[in-house]
Amino acid sequence: MPESLLTILKLCALALLYLFFLRVLRAVWAEVSSTRGVAVAARPAPAPDPARASRRGPGRRQRGSSQLTVVEPPELEGRSFELADELTVGRAAGCQVTLEDNYVSQLHARIFRRDGMLFVEDLGSTNGTYLNTRKVSSPVALNRGDRLKIGSTVLELA
Amino acid sequence: MIPVVRRNTELGLILLAITITAATYTLASLATTADLPADIGPFLGVVLALLAGAHVATRRLAPAGDGVLLPIAGLLNGLGYVWIARLDEELAALQATWTAVGILAFVVTLAVVRRPRDLERYRYTFMLAGVGLLLLPLLPVVGKTVNGARIWVELGPISFQPGEFAKIILAVFFASYLVDKREVLGMAANRLGPVTLPELRHFGPVVLAWAASLLVMTAQRDLGSSLLFFALFVVMLWVATERASYLVVSGLLFSGGAFVAWRLFDHVQRRIAVWLDPWSDVSDQGFQVVQATFALAWGGVAGTGPGLGNPDRIPLIETDFIFAAIGEELGLLGSVGVLVAYLLMVGAGLRIALRAEVPFNKLLATGLTAILGIQSFIIIGGVTRLVPLTGITLPFVSYGGSSLIANYILLALLIRISDDNAAAEPDALA
Repeated sequence: MPESLLTILKLCALALLYLFFLRVLRAVWAEVSSTRGVAVAARPAPAPDPARASRRGPGRRQRGSSQLTVVEPPELEGRSFELADELTVGRAAGCQVTLEDNYVSQLHARIFRRDGMLFVEDLGSTNGTYLNTRKVSSPVALNRGDRLKIGSTVLELA
Repeated sequence: MIPVVRRNTELGLILLAITITAATYTLASLATTADLPADIGPFLGVVLALLAGAHVATRRLAPAGDGVLLPIAGLLNGLGYVWIARLDEELAALQATWTAVGILAFVVTLAVVRRPRDLERYRYTFMLAGVGLLLLPLLPVVGKTVNGARIWVELGPISFQPGEFAKIILAVFFASYLVDKREVLGMAANRLGPVTLPELRHFGPVVLAWAASLLVMTAQRDLGSSLLFFALFVVMLWVATERASYLVVSGLLFSGGAFVAWRLFDHVQRRIAVWLDPWSDVSDQGFQVVQATFALAWGGVAGTGPGLGNPDRIPLIETDFIFAAIGEELGLLGSVGVLVAYLLMVGAGLRIALRAEVPFNKLLATGLTAILGIQSFIIIGGVTRLVPLTGITLPFVSYGGSSLIANYILLALLIRISDDNAAAEPDALA
């Protein structure tokens, strides 16, 4: 096999290699530029960051909403929990809001304040967290009057 | 929309990667035997079957997962195989088997780990498993010393390097530990001039990781892995706490440890001496590095062509030094191509970490990506004499069963996290 032909074939193989990289870059670019607008619109707020939130320290009590009141089950109705800058909800004793409910996971959800807004985040619970019947899959902002369904317990933000 | 686009991208890129692998394989054969490779049919069939299998698995199990990671890994794996096959046919047959097992591990990982956060729950089990694996080679009966490093475990007919798996398991542990502790770790307690330092007792885990990496380094004589473990933990600590002071303190700790090791141990001294001046002992200690330098230089811009170089004169060419073989036969263009491939993988990994909303996912993706990037840097830097040489495999390219399987598991975890990210953004999918 003549050497020049081998050289040409080698250069073709190298060209293919770089074509591969170009196509990878094009795919990445297409994705980044098409999801950018949607992603910003889809997220109510930048990704929550507990480290930063806690560094800012407590003391920034915000207007209005400051209490979670149990709506269901009836035997616990009216029981309420004060909202702090961050609290966890679950069956475990270490949670700030402990719910004696078999449908609640040990560590079920987290409610936290960020930029003056309250957010709820599911922490990988088995039965999920629902905000006004919508399943919470990423941190979602809470408003006064919203209902949170955690296990079979329903809490209302007042 | 995203799942379909991503999977179609993946399929297209996989086909291109297979074309490149097959073309290089054919070229190597044309150059050495002036004939098409006898087994080109079965070769194509196997490569196609393996990557198609992995692709079907992502379609089924992680439809919205990242679409560029698998093709790049497949390309690196394929190119590595071409050179292993060209250098040693026996190893090539084994490497093909390991690739199959690796892809199987990839599919199994995707099938078992349905949600990344499931991993978070077994934090301390992972810690014990990771440390256990790391220390396993030191046990008297099963541990085995190969080429001066005690990093092998031999159980009956199977021998493997547990450290390759320990790196992933420890990344999972670090991620869950740091998600839990990052608030205390991020708090500033002491002020030392311009640097604020967190409370000293929170440095406990760092000191522990530092001590463990030194232990591995001294007891197993495995410099590359100890550097990898330490760097992995420091990177994750830094990302979790957003405190650059950890980088400074850890850097000082590592320099201190490295200096002491240099003073105390011959093998460290030899590595450094060879790095600074390999020419002073060309025929013995410096032989490998000098030959690699010659190989890269001989390759020039476009290389000698696959099959036309003499990389077989470099010891350990199929494992630690495979980069030099590619550099010789595909030249600067080919070796830069390998670097670009790692760069794109690291980019994809960091993009997954940026998109992740769950802190654990974010940290785990960062850690896994860091493993890939740091490991490639350590070995390519060693081969090109940028840093002292420390034997470690080049991910996906080098010969080695443990390494391939572990890297495919790592890949599956990254793809799983990116699939999870897409699921958390339902609006972006609509």
